[in-house]
Amino acid sequence: MTLFWKWAIAVFLVVLLAAFLALCKMAGSPKDAYGMVRYALPHMHRGNLKVGDDAPDARLLALDGTDHFHIRERTGSRPLVVIFGSYT
Amino acid sequence: MVEIYNDYKDHADFLTVYVREAHPTDEWQMKSNVKDDVCYAQPKNLAQRVAIANDFIKRFNYPIAFGIDDINNAAEAAYSAWPERLYVIDESGRIAYRGGMGPFHYDPAEVRAWLAARYGAVAHPATAPTPANPTATPPSTPAASATK
Repeated sequence: MTLFWKWAIAVFLVVLLAAFLALCKMAGSPKDAYGMVRYALPHMHRGNLKVGDDAPDARLLALDGTDHFHIRERTGSRPLVVIFGSYT
Repeated sequence: MVEIYNDYKDHADFLTVYVREAHPTDEWQMKSNVKDDVCYAQPKNLAQRVAIANDFIKRFNYPIAFGIDDINNAAEAAYSAWPERLYVIDESGRIAYRGGMGPFHYDPAEVRAWLAARYGAVAHPATAPTPANPTATPPSTPAASATK
């Protein structure tokens, strides 16, 4: 192995370590860094919706677990603030 | 958001859409989930989602209308909504406000500002000058007093 490649590999490993440490700091711990990379980042999307676009519709289940309704059924007469989220 | 709801529910409708869990026990659980006793596995079916949603409603006496996303996450996909996001849809059915991706860019203050621009700011006694705190001044913008 030439000196060039030894240096290239060393620099790559240092950059990789720095990125991992930065991610750990941002996420809170190595475990959280893993969780972020494994479970969060693949599901986070900026999306293509823009202000002025037609709001997409989607069918939702009511809290009783039986009835359904559509987001767009709730629009029309007044602005609709839509809050997406989960418990955890 | 509940405070914003209470301030503007006479002018706008509100809808909460429950999407996939962000920090379930079988994925990326956080210490805060354990501390707050919010420990759930990722729901594998709608019945499990309904159960968690109802736990949430009961625990916080949550007043805002609630809908649960399909197990195929159709609403989440349509709105790129995971893990949390805010939108305002106007009377014509168009996106009037699109919030940033949560959690880092999830900002209820922006929704409050949108509503305040249309319906006027809502002052809260806690932010108004009082004899006990005569130097206090109302926030320069309604958004400044919003809470998550």
